[in-house]
Amino acid sequence: MDAGQMKRQWVDYIKSLFVEGFLDGQFLQLQQLQDENNPEFVVEVVSLFFEDSERLLKDLSFALEQKGVDFKKVDAHVHQLKGSSSSIGAQRVKNACIAFRNFCEEQNTDACLRCLQQVKQEYCLVKNKLETLIRLEQQIVAAGGSIPTMELSF
Amino acid sequence: MATKCIHLFDKLWSFATCKKTRLPTGRRSNLHRDVEKEEFQYASAQCLSSYYSVFVVRLAIMVMLAILIGLLTFLTWHFTKIYTTKSLNSLAYDLRYELLQRPILRMWNILNSTAEITASQVKLSEYVIRSHSNLATQAEQVEMYGAMKAVTWALFSSRKALDSITVKYRNGFVQAFHRNLKDNHTCYIYSDLANYSMASWNDKDIHGKNSSIWYREPLDPVTGEKIGKAMKIAPEDSINIAGLSQVPDGVASWHVAVSKFTDSPLLSAALPVWDSSNKSIVAVVGVTTALYSVGQLMKELVDLHGGHMYLTSQEGYLLATSTHDPLLTNSTKLKMAVGSENEAIRHGAQWLQKTYGNHFPPSHEVHVENVKLGHQQYYIDSFFLNLKRLPLVGVIIIPRKHIMGEADERAFKTLVILISASVCIIVIGCVCILILTNGVSKEMKLRAELISHLEARRKAEASSNYKSQFLANMSHELRTPMAAVIGLLDILISDDHLTNEQCATVTQIRKCSTALLRLLNNILDLSKVESGKLVLENAEFDLGRELEGLVDMFSVQCINHSVEIILDLSDDMPKLVRGDSARVVQIFANLINNSIKFTLSGHIILRGWCENPNSCSDNPKSGYLQKTRTKQHENHVKKISNSDNKMILWFEVDDTGCGIDPCKWDSVFESFEQADPSTTRLHGGTGLGLCIVRSLVNKMGGEIKVVKKEGPGTLMRLYLCLSAPVDATEQHCQADFSNNGLVVLLALHGDRGRLTTSKWLQQNGVITLEASEWNGLTQILRELFHARSPAYNNGFDAHYPLLERLKSKFLSIQELTNPAYVIAVDIELLDLSTDIWKEQLNFLHKYRGRAKFVWVLNHDNNNTIKMELRKKGHILTVNKPLYKTKMIHVLEAVIKEKNVELQRKNKGGDLHESLEIDYTHCDLASSDGSDISEMGGSNFVCASGDKQREEVVRSYSSSQYQINNCLVGLAHEHMEHNTPRKEGSYQSNPNSKDVTKLGTFSTGEDSECGEMRRANSSSRAVNGKKSLEGVRILLAEDTPVIQRVATIMLEKMGATVVAVGDGQQAVDALNGMLGVEDGRRESLLKERNIRSSQTEILNCPPYDLVLMDCQMPKMDGYEATKEIRKSEVGTGLHIPIVALTAHAMSCDEAKCLGVGMDAYLTKPIDFKLMESTILSVTRRT
Repeated sequence: MDAGQMKRQWVDYIKSLFVEGFLDGQFLQLQQLQDENNPEFVVEVVSLFFEDSERLLKDLSFALEQKGVDFKKVDAHVHQLKGSSSSIGAQRVKNACIAFRNFCEEQNTDACLRCLQQVKQEYCLVKNKLETLIRLEQQIVAAGGSIPTMELSF
Repeated sequence: MATKCIHLFDKLWSFATCKKTRLPTGRRSNLHRDVEKEEFQYASAQCLSSYYSVFVVRLAIMVMLAILIGLLTFLTWHFTKIYTTKSLNSLAYDLRYELLQRPILRMWNILNSTAEITASQVKLSEYVIRSHSNLATQAEQVEMYGAMKAVTWALFSSRKALDSITVKYRNGFVQAFHRNLKDNHTCYIYSDLANYSMASWNDKDIHGKNSSIWYREPLDPVTGEKIGKAMKIAPEDSINIAGLSQVPDGVASWHVAVSKFTDSPLLSAALPVWDSSNKSIVAVVGVTTALYSVGQLMKELVDLHGGHMYLTSQEGYLLATSTHDPLLTNSTKLKMAVGSENEAIRHGAQWLQKTYGNHFPPSHEVHVENVKLGHQQYYIDSFFLNLKRLPLVGVIIIPRKHIMGEADERAFKTLVILISASVCIIVIGCVCILILTNGVSKEMKLRAELISHLEARRKAEASSNYKSQFLANMSHELRTPMAAVIGLLDILISDDHLTNEQCATVTQIRKCSTALLRLLNNILDLSKVESGKLVLENAEFDLGRELEGLVDMFSVQCINHSVEIILDLSDDMPKLVRGDSARVVQIFANLINNSIKFTLSGHIILRGWCENPNSCSDNPKSGYLQKTRTKQHENHVKKISNSDNKMILWFEVDDTGCGIDPCKWDSVFESFEQADPSTTRLHGGTGLGLCIVRSLVNKMGGEIKVVKKEGPGTLMRLYLCLSAPVDATEQHCQADFSNNGLVVLLALHGDRGRLTTSKWLQQNGVITLEASEWNGLTQILRELFHARSPAYNNGFDAHYPLLERLKSKFLSIQELTNPAYVIAVDIELLDLSTDIWKEQLNFLHKYRGRAKFVWVLNHDNNNTIKMELRKKGHILTVNKPLYKTKMIHVLEAVIKEKNVELQRKNKGGDLHESLEIDYTHCDLASSDGSDISEMGGSNFVCASGDKQREEVVRSYSSSQYQINNCLVGLAHEHMEHNTPRKEGSYQSNPNSKDVTKLGTFSTGEDSECGEMRRANSSSRAVNGKKSLEGVRILLAEDTPVIQRVATIMLEKMGATVVAVGDGQQAVDALNGMLGVEDGRRESLLKERNIRSSQTEILNCPPYDLVLMDCQMPKMDGYEATKEIRKSEVGTGLHIPIVALTAHAMSCDEAKCLGVGMDAYLTKPIDFKLMESTILSVTRRT
């Protein structure tokens, strides 16, 4: 597969991510920020996001399994997750977090657990997508091509 | 009856109680549901149940009323009737008894009297006969009979009721008196004496003598005289003569006889007359009495009382009746009562016989009431008179009608009346109850309806509220993508690889996006106001400066339209006011924008004045306006001026556009309303602007309306109620120029602007001259400066005759000693299209020594002109429009320069060639006045004027955008020349004092200026310059992703970033900074290497800015900010802190600003917004 084909594939893929609502404009800004000084910026941030999110999700699962659920703590965790996901442009995770926080305010444990599942699901989805995307990019770079510059396709 | 009532009450009570107990249980079952819904249901259920209960109560009341009235009626009738009947009955009984008694007594009387007469007749006869015991001769015999006749007559005449008295002797001689009671005809009947001899006295067979002849001679009823001839009659013809056969046993006998001569039965008694020896009966005396009188009495009684009476013998033969019917059958036999011809008597007798037969009660007395005989009811009473020989029975039959008739009738009538009356009452009562309860039930219905209406209204209001709240909440969600779109478009525009066509398209898209964002902002503002979420700030701000900035901004737009924009604020306007500056600016921005849209040529004037009760008169500028408004708002003013520190500021926006139809003056302020729908096509717009304006003005306690004006165009007048700062001393920036000998020549193109300025100058005691074109200018110049050489003067006088007005001014100028001339020249006066302007410039340059030139520049003047001006040393340049503040600065600069020159002249060669306008001094008047030390320092700063000016020029050209906001394009910043980073641009110098502040637009507001500023900053990016070069930023953020993203963003902009993980670290980092502030500086290179290393905090250099996340572990942003501000107290430092938060509500913003933060950014971080915010904040210090 030559670099051009892969580039087209990459563009199609990222387009589909936008269309399906996994990512939003913030991700484009991230891409914009990547330059010669920080060639691995997107990958770095994304992996930071993964680490952070997994930690938070673990904390959340733990917190919600406790007998008396500390909703303040849960809310703080969700808030953090929301912040980081919105910073990376993972829109669907962010939206799930917003719903999650509403239930935290209501102190509804069942709904929170349901939301946690949803957030986890969304997170897994976006993680897979992003990993695929990064793999594609790495392939492009390996094939000698450059990551296409921003295509404002949404 | 009573038990019935009790039963009824029991029923009602149980009904009511069960209702009561049933309702709450129903409510309780609904408790889990929505409260409102339940309330509504409860209300309707209550209504329904009450409806039923009303129905039941109505029925119950009706029934009770009916029962009550029925009872009352019945009792009344009953008692009335019973007592009447009882008393009547007893009376009637008495009456009957009495009635019956009387005929019986009469009968008794008759019997008695008959017996007495008979006895006395017998005694007399005995005496007479005894005295004539020896009847020897015929003569003696005749004598005895004569005596007998006389005696008998005497008795007969004494008793009028007697029918007859007969005496029959033994020999058959008959002597009888007879009286017909009907005609009172009396006669004497006797037998022929010749046939009887004494011898035959004792002859037994009288009856056998058939040959005897009887005579009858009529008599006078009173005297007994013979009045007629004796007639011969057959024996026993007219009367019955009692004979011996009737006294067979020699005792008196009684019997009821029937005479053939009378139609009534007779009572006859017979007694024998014994001889002296009492051995033989000599004669028989018979007395008959007619029962006629009894019948008569009965008739009389019956006539009086009605009814019927009769007397019968024990066997039932009628003896007397109250009727006229004959009592005899065939004049010979007595009738039975049963066979009477009178129906009543017959029926009565029949009834009695049928009822009792022969078994009468022992007393033979019967009293029966209400016997039905025929068709009527009768009272029947009988009475028994037990005589030895003649037992009698009296019966009275009285129809009930006669006695009880009236009572019965009355009772019946009463009953009828009572029943009808009670029916009426019941009917009326029912109707009343119906009406009454109908009212109640109607009210119930209305109430139910009201409840449902209230419910509906509440829902409608709620939905409207939801709408507004939704919009208000959407603000962030809507603005963020728009900001992203615009930002990305900016990025795209900055791309070098775009073709021209693409570039044009993208620029177009950007314009459209900006327009869309503006529209969005308008709608959101409106909804914010409507939903009540708009909270006005109450901060001190410089109203004049805000308005000047606004006018500066719009003047750019106006130049394209060839419209003059003029700011005309009266001197009594307060410098500082408290209020929401952004919203005030928005009001005027909208108004001016509107005016510009509709004004193609002419001018737009923004007037402002203050209304104080005492300053009304000292403002001659708007005299006629004031009159009207004082009239209109006198009450208002009084009210407002009472509350402390409140003042009313009046503004007018006057344009010469197409105007508004007077009938639309009110409706233009409605949403989506435009005066002329066709203008939408021409000018665009949504019609929201004025609506927002009105909402805001009303919110600030003011009013706005369109006012009639002379000439074309629109005049909008509004007032705002703003409060003055509490502690502010009334400092008007008013310099008195009258004693400085200033002469100002205004050579300005725009008529209105020049007029306004010159008016103001003249008010302040400055002599002004005016010129509107190049020729006028040159003429006045020559006039001014060559007036002292008469030749020149005369020559020009011929060509350009001066106006008288000017002449008088020249005269007053000449009186001035050492006048200072200021010539304000509009650059438009020069002919810029060709190269003539250079010659014109040279011409003016000749007067440079004698007058100060102030150049009024346009924004679009190219650099060659400016360079040329600078080359020639004209450093006083002002951007259009020229308004009061700028004028003051210019004049102050001129006065100062003049003073310096005078000083130099006096001292002779002072080193300080101070052409520099003391801007810190100027600024002090308009800024917060916080930098006193700076001001103090400025007095010795003026070291090398030329060098300084060079710098000024450079910075001026490099910061294009400043033109929009600058006051005077001269030295904008005074720099400390001993600063080590002198060569860096002014942004990099933390101590540099930037006089020209950016507008104090808060970052959250996407106002027109914000847009512009962003566009400018992005255009700076085009130039390839890193906007934040050298700015050092401390980033406090806990989320690693955001931390990283923000770091990269900021570094991309050229800033140096130190990231920390929480508030505590941020505070520590800053404290370390304060510690090393004294002078030690680390190298920039080293700083770059510090990224998120908390260990090296102590070595951190001072920061220009802190980006603070609000929600962090350990210590959150608010706390950290408070800490930092606390530690800054007393040091005079103020590090700008920008909040970084995921909360997008205005209350969060208020909270951020409340704890001492300077600005506010929302996550996700927008590249452009962050850049502009940081720039505005860092420059402000």
